[in-house]
Amino acid sequence: MMRNAQSLVDALREPGMVLSLDGACWTDLISIARAESLIGSLAHRLTGIEVPEQVQPVLKDAIQATDLARRQALWEADCARRALTSLNCKTVLMKGTAYVAADLDAGVGRSIGDLDIMVARDELSAVEELLLDAGWEWVKPDPYDDQYYRDHMHELPPLIHRERDRMIDVHHTTLPLTAGPTPNAGAMLENAVRLDSGLYVMAPADMLLHSIAHLFADGDLAGGLRNLWDIDQLIRQFAQVDDNFWMELGARAKLHQLEPHLARSLRLTALLYGTPVCENLAGPAKVTDNLYIHRLLARDGWGRENRKFTRQAFYIRSHWLRMPPLMLARHLWTKWRKA
Amino acid sequence: MSQLYRTAALDGIIQHPLDSMTLIFQKSSGVTHMVADPVPAILEVMAEDSLTASDVAQRLSASYDLEDNTDVADIVLARLAELCTLGLVEQV
Amino acid sequence: MAGLHHLYLTVGPARFRVASTWQRPLDQLAALYGDYPASQDSYADFTVRLEPEKPWRRYIRPSVHISGDFWLPDAAPLPLNQSLLAAEMGMNLQMALGWRRHLLLHASSVEKDGKALLMTGLSGSGKSTLSAMLAEKGWRFMGDEFALLNPDTGMMHSFPRLISLKNEAIAAMQAILPESRFGPLMTGTPKGDIRHIIPPADAVQKMADTARPALLLFPRFGYDPILRHMGKSEIFVRLTQASTNYVALGETGFRTLTKFVDTVPTKAMDYQSGEQAEELIDSLWNKLS
Repeated sequence: MMRNAQSLVDALREPGMVLSLDGACWTDLISIARAESLIGSLAHRLTGIEVPEQVQPVLKDAIQATDLARRQALWEADCARRALTSLNCKTVLMKGTAYVAADLDAGVGRSIGDLDIMVARDELSAVEELLLDAGWEWVKPDPYDDQYYRDHMHELPPLIHRERDRMIDVHHTTLPLTAGPTPNAGAMLENAVRLDSGLYVMAPADMLLHSIAHLFADGDLAGGLRNLWDIDQLIRQFAQVDDNFWMELGARAKLHQLEPHLARSLRLTALLYGTPVCENLAGPAKVTDNLYIHRLLARDGWGRENRKFTRQAFYIRSHWLRMPPLMLARHLWTKWRKA
Repeated sequence: MSQLYRTAALDGIIQHPLDSMTLIFQKSSGVTHMVADPVPAILEVMAEDSLTASDVAQRLSASYDLEDNTDVADIVLARLAELCTLGLVEQV
Repeated sequence: MAGLHHLYLTVGPARFRVASTWQRPLDQLAALYGDYPASQDSYADFTVRLEPEKPWRRYIRPSVHISGDFWLPDAAPLPLNQSLLAAEMGMNLQMALGWRRHLLLHASSVEKDGKALLMTGLSGSGKSTLSAMLAEKGWRFMGDEFALLNPDTGMMHSFPRLISLKNEAIAAMQAILPESRFGPLMTGTPKGDIRHIIPPADAVQKMADTARPALLLFPRFGYDPILRHMGKSEIFVRLTQASTNYVALGETGFRTLTKFVDTVPTKAMDYQSGEQAEELIDSLWNKLS
């Protein structure tokens, strides 16, 4: 068996393959799935497969743990809704919370951390004030960091609720303002879909594109397997219910300047998870796709990240994507000085 | 004083009395609240109805032996505000 | 990237794969856990990893970084001569953050006649030492760190890891136990001196046997001996604080803990010596139905 995350990808893609695993392989698979935050998705995927009795409780635990994550995420979203009622603004849920609130396949078994919401840029300060009134507090009262966030990032500095100990990130766009592509946040808000609760989620194409933007712009591809699993599940569900999905997706990718990102992630998710994708949008395979795959699978059977060099290369790249060089230097310098 | 209040789904909570206090497990949040009188009584008299604070106070006075000269309505209003913050009661 | 040595351990209902850059902690574990059931099939509920903080720290003033399937971002590393402690902490961490099959109470427990005595309290309460002492006096040792409460049956399950003795307790137990029951002495740990002892043979042989929770004590060492009544509200709050997974179990945790508080007699117990504690415990135990 290969000593990397390929076994996890295989099990998600073709659950029946687990029937051939022995004890040691199962132990590897569980460690890798936990490290990639995909254990809940895997457990759901394996429902109905005859797994060894030693593994059953591990999978059951994972399902129950993600059930709880789901309930807590919906509760946090509802707390935010109640705090913001008087403002009567469009509050758009993002990422994991959006998937569970809209009851999408991508939310099944998903682990969910912070609450991410998007509001119109001109509502930011009013939203901030209401959240502070309702018991959220700044995580770190540091004027430099605050100024940094406000000037250059795509969200308010994170807030944490003083009693529930849960974080909220309030965004007004989907990417750092200094990053290359400029997704049209106004258009995303405009097209957002209202749920029964009164909260909103992005329209399908925008939701998928936001997940894609997150994969490439917001880090070093860490957690990329989970992110691409979201993308796979969103695509399968959206393409099935709407014949015009691919056309709409192409148009929205253009609008948000995310066409190359869309193409790359369609190729990656098709390679990894066998996602049925529109070939026109995916474009021709590139040599660098393999580098990405290599990087995404960089985890050994003990659950450790390996191939540090690839990781580091991606990490540096992702910093450059986010901030112009001078700004990065200033940011790091301020950090070093304070340390 | 005309604001209406309603309990958030009563089947969404489990109440469990322990000597002086009552535990309320809220299924939607997973939070365990520990509350003292008159909170359990308030939830009980509110049942599934939409009520003002003074309606609640009246129902409390009818069902329980309250001390004279207590400003029941003020106490009820303060408790209702707390319960709203916790998401156990909603303004309607 | 260097491969890892590894070892499988079974403690009560939990199975661990302990993986380490160094062979030494695994040899120590193998010796101390020698009488525990051996893994036949290489399945594990959790992987614990012991690795150098930085690759070059494998050789130069080596320090052990503890991680695994579940981990804390700010876990401070330990020096290599405390790697056995690191392994034990790593296993505890997996249980505390990842175990969902029982309600976990940070308590020691011992059993007699199918009934369990639980002792919980802050560090320094003596709960670990008391359980080790009672284990040599006719009680079956069930665990000194976590008591596992089964949500379906209300029964206690045993988690009899090595017993962890601190500071003065080490000498006290050395006076009554043979040297062969002890692990290496680790000095200067974050908790002072630590020495592990192997639980008595019956604790390991009967580690699958459950017991009905019959008495809960909150011991406090260093005060005049007395037993005090505790209100149920106080007991409930203190047990939620003593449980690492009460919140994570949601409604199951609530139902399990309220039932426990309603049915298990509970006292606060102050004491100044093991003999006093034993006397107080016997007085309560003999009155149980």
